Amino acid sequence: MTSPFFKRCAALSIVGLFAFGPVLLFVGGAQASYKLTPYQTTRKNAGTPNSTTVKKNADGVIIAYGNSSITYRAPSSALVTLGDALFQQNCASCHGSQANGVPANGTSGAFPDLVGLGPATINFWIDSGRMPAANPRAIEANRRVPRLTHDQALAVSAWVNSLAPGFPLIPYPHLKNANVADGAALFALNCASCHTIEGDGDALAMSTFSPSLRKIPSIEVAEAIRTGPANMPRFTGNLSDAQVNDIVKYVTTEIQHPNNPGGFGLGGLGPVAEGFVGLAFGVGVLALFGFWVGERDD
Amino acid sequence: MSDVINTKRSKKQALGPYGRVGKSLDELDDRLGLARGGRTFMDKIFPDHWSFMLGEIALYSFVILLVTGVFLTLYFIPSSAIVIYHGSYKPLDGQKMTQAFASTVNLSFAVRGGLLMRQMHHWACDIFVGAIVIHMARVFFTGAFRKPRELNWIVGSTLLILAIVNGFLGYSLPDDLVSGTGIRIAYSIILSIPLVGTYVAFWVFGGNFPGTSIIPRFFILHCLIVPLIIIGLVSAHLFLLVRQKHTQFPGRGRTETNVVGSPMFPVFMAKTTGFLFIVGGITALLGAFAQVNPIWQFGPYDAARISYAVQPDWYMGFLDGALRIWPSWSFHSWGHTIPFEVLIPAVVLPGLIFNFVFVWPMIERKFTKDNAIHNLLDRPSNVPVRTAVGVTMLSFLGMLFIASSTDVLAKFFNLSLNTVLVAMRYLTIIVPILAYPITYRICHEIQALHGGGRRKTPNVVARSSEGEYTATPSPRYVDDVPSHLAPTPVPDYIHEEPEESGESGVRVVDR
Amino acid sequence: MTDEHRTPVSLSGLPANDPHLQPAARNPELVERVISVCFVVGTLCLAGFGACYWIDAQPWKLGATLGGGLLFLGIGIVAWGKYLMPRGPFVEERHTLANSEADRQAFAAAIVERGGGVVQRRKILGGLLGGGMGIFTIVAMFPLLRSLGPLPKTTLQHTDWRSGSYVVDQSGRRVEVGDLAVGSIETVFPEGTQNTDRGQAVDQTVLIRVSNEAFTTMKGRETWAPHGYVAYSKVCTHLGCPVGLYEQELQLLVCPCHQSMFNVTNGAVPQFGPAPRPLPQLPLYVDSSGFLRSQSDYHEAVGPGFWERS
Repeated sequence: MTSPFFKRCAALSIVGLFAFGPVLLFVGGAQASYKLTPYQTTRKNAGTPNSTTVKKNADGVIIAYGNSSITYRAPSSALVTLGDALFQQNCASCHGSQANGVPANGTSGAFPDLVGLGPATINFWIDSGRMPAANPRAIEANRRVPRLTHDQALAVSAWVNSLAPGFPLIPYPHLKNANVADGAALFALNCASCHTIEGDGDALAMSTFSPSLRKIPSIEVAEAIRTGPANMPRFTGNLSDAQVNDIVKYVTTEIQHPNNPGGFGLGGLGPVAEGFVGLAFGVGVLALFGFWVGERDD
Repeated sequence: MSDVINTKRSKKQALGPYGRVGKSLDELDDRLGLARGGRTFMDKIFPDHWSFMLGEIALYSFVILLVTGVFLTLYFIPSSAIVIYHGSYKPLDGQKMTQAFASTVNLSFAVRGGLLMRQMHHWACDIFVGAIVIHMARVFFTGAFRKPRELNWIVGSTLLILAIVNGFLGYSLPDDLVSGTGIRIAYSIILSIPLVGTYVAFWVFGGNFPGTSIIPRFFILHCLIVPLIIIGLVSAHLFLLVRQKHTQFPGRGRTETNVVGSPMFPVFMAKTTGFLFIVGGITALLGAFAQVNPIWQFGPYDAARISYAVQPDWYMGFLDGALRIWPSWSFHSWGHTIPFEVLIPAVVLPGLIFNFVFVWPMIERKFTKDNAIHNLLDRPSNVPVRTAVGVTMLSFLGMLFIASSTDVLAKFFNLSLNTVLVAMRYLTIIVPILAYPITYRICHEIQALHGGGRRKTPNVVARSSEGEYTATPSPRYVDDVPSHLAPTPVPDYIHEEPEESGESGVRVVDR
Repeated sequence: MTDEHRTPVSLSGLPANDPHLQPAARNPELVERVISVCFVVGTLCLAGFGACYWIDAQPWKLGATLGGGLLFLGIGIVAWGKYLMPRGPFVEERHTLANSEADRQAFAAAIVERGGGVVQRRKILGGLLGGGMGIFTIVAMFPLLRSLGPLPKTTLQHTDWRSGSYVVDQSGRRVEVGDLAVGSIETVFPEGTQNTDRGQAVDQTVLIRVSNEAFTTMKGRETWAPHGYVAYSKVCTHLGCPVGLYEQELQLLVCPCHQSMFNVTNGAVPQFGPAPRPLPQLPLYVDSSGFLRSQSDYHEAVGPGFWERS
């Protein structure tokens, strides 16, 4: 494997992939070979450059694609130097100065290799405040107040993406074109089994958990669906852009602003909270009234 | 003189001493003969202790259930036919759902007062079962189930089972995602019964799950069959109570052969009618301010969909908890499977618990060899064994109930879900075992205390001029008259002016 | 309820100033005023309920006025009974429920001698009637049971997956081999069943892509998971809930109902929780057009256990 001939072949094929890869994707040519990277699918309108409109920059690199449901845009390349500086300052201590990560070793877990993961992934982790990690040893990073601003997060994604361009790009859903009823049905089938039907999240296996969806901006919802962060599965070809747009609209309207016509929502915990309220405020208060109505012993 | 009967005074005199009302009652007595029975009924004495009001909470929440339930039956359509919803709730617009679900969404959003009635109905059910449980606990701990009231205990225990079952049937009617999952679990529980499970499941559901028969069948059971049985048993329960008269705590003037308290009319009727209104009022306030079972957020049931954190309503929680913590013991040999991991927690365990509850009066009679009639109640601390057994059983059921919310506990306390579940397996055994000796000891401690568990009478401390302090017990209030009064029979009549002779008036009337 | 004898009854009376007949409150006038306020407030609330109903107010307003009205009226009525009515205490004698020995003997004699006499003399009739009633109770159960539904036969042993069934999602779209990325999950059905009750309840299957290469979970299943697509029955083997919760880093399928955890990488064997058996795996293959299809039905019955499950 170290002979010059093989090295030249390898170099040529890498260059060829960068040159022709986007073209192959554009024609949906993955049918010829099943060796796709994690984000590439053959389904049109599914978070990949198979979408209807594709925009490339002067070097032929795809910087935006999308349709009437979601537009995916790469972060501006002008942010790359800022992103480099921010990355070295905030992220390199764990992920390495070239974002190659550190493999797991003994009792210490892995710090993932970020190269080629695509801007949406990087942007999600930073924008939700999960990265820089509060506790790098925790089994799952909690959502926190973000340490970097939106633009800084975009800058970091721009720099990581410049190392090795990946997909998907950052999704910008067009919520006006979404159908909230379809979103409700899709949410119930795909999302409720982890995030609960009310969207409050809960404890899952071992010490993992699904986070609450009550305060997440629409871009992050789309990013999470398309990239599948941590234990969350990723939805690529199994949901079209229109379907993702519907789910985002459902989450940002009904889940985040439920009109609870029946009164206090009781935390969305369902029958557990209802039982507590019924017994404490129903039976308990009535028993107190009974204490007043009746007599005590002398 | 007999000709002059047209004056107002003579007409009044003709009516007799009790006026128009007395005349009407005379007419009723001519036809129904209810003068003596009516008088006896109205003189019935009800003891006043506050713990006797707990059963009334259950009774009146049942009344609320009936009233709100009738309203709901006018709008709910118990059909599994598929319809497309086009109503005011946008996230369901254009979605396919069963007519049962669509009519419930319609009830919640389009029918005036519908959401309030739905919520009152659901809260009244939660309160109903809760009140039955604490009422049963009161009856158990005070020994009111003893002879001659064992039959009433059995009637009441049956009512508890029927209330739980009807609650499950009722919240499953809207055919939403959360309750539909419960129905799927019920189907699998029936399947698990050896030999006949598949047959019974196919007969109850009209085929494989889910089928289209289960919602209409649940509707008939929930609205007609089970409520009729409950009404019959509640009537029997109240009849036995009136016939055998209520029990009472020992106290001043109270013996095994009398009842001290307030007469039915007017005092008890006033208190109980007021309490009915209070129960209705609290239920309505809960229905106004606490949202319950928001089925529109859950969406219609689809056998391929599921939500996380689906617990059943609280009174089914002990079953869900038992199913979660039970290890996966499944017997599989010779071409047959007996799923013990389902059978034991969901069929055998509740069967054992309820059978134990039913036969407890017989068990106690056997161990204490006490066949006497008991109309006076025990103070729980005076019967440590019974109290400890009761606390053990309640703590066991309580642990099972807590085990049904393992995921909520893991979320709130930031623990691993697996750890919480394993902990619940141990705690469900350890806590009841510990509860027995602790309760037993506490009862003995209370017995050992002078006046333990009773209200302390205040003492008036006086200082004599020599400086000596004396403490004498005194009533709570200086003019606290009732505690000094001896009980007296209910008077048949009240006379305004006192008799000159000074004797209490006695009139002998020949009938 | 009382004795049926027609004997003279003595009526007892109390003077009106007897302490038993006085109200329990120390200040009845004040209590009466408080109760009147309760009644007025309650009535106003109920009138408000009527008004809210008239104008179709929000449910919480309806409930608040109704609840407040009932509550205040109830408190007033209870207070009236508790504080203003004769305070008692009154007493009533319990009469022994048991009747006299003579009565009991007569009752027992009526049943035993009369009844015994009848049956003893006509033993054959009694026996035949008993047998008839026995048969009647048995057959009376039949309409209650058998008409309710069909016999299970082998319905629970099979699903609708066949050799060559196209794998489709809930909208009926066929799944192609390039559809899912690694770490994706989708709920799939055999083509044609995705909108039926049976399809959703019985045929539902989770399709997970665990890698880009063919994936072997257990011996004998080498061809079952082409290109990393592995398919398991979505019906939990514990109680039938859909096992839709996939944690892609832990590679666990968790059942949301009672938290059974199935290991995706070794044939969905339950690692934790009450589920007793692994989720059955559906053998897949990729046809020449790139569509995913099933090789056959599941090799065992899906879902929870039952007696006939071998």
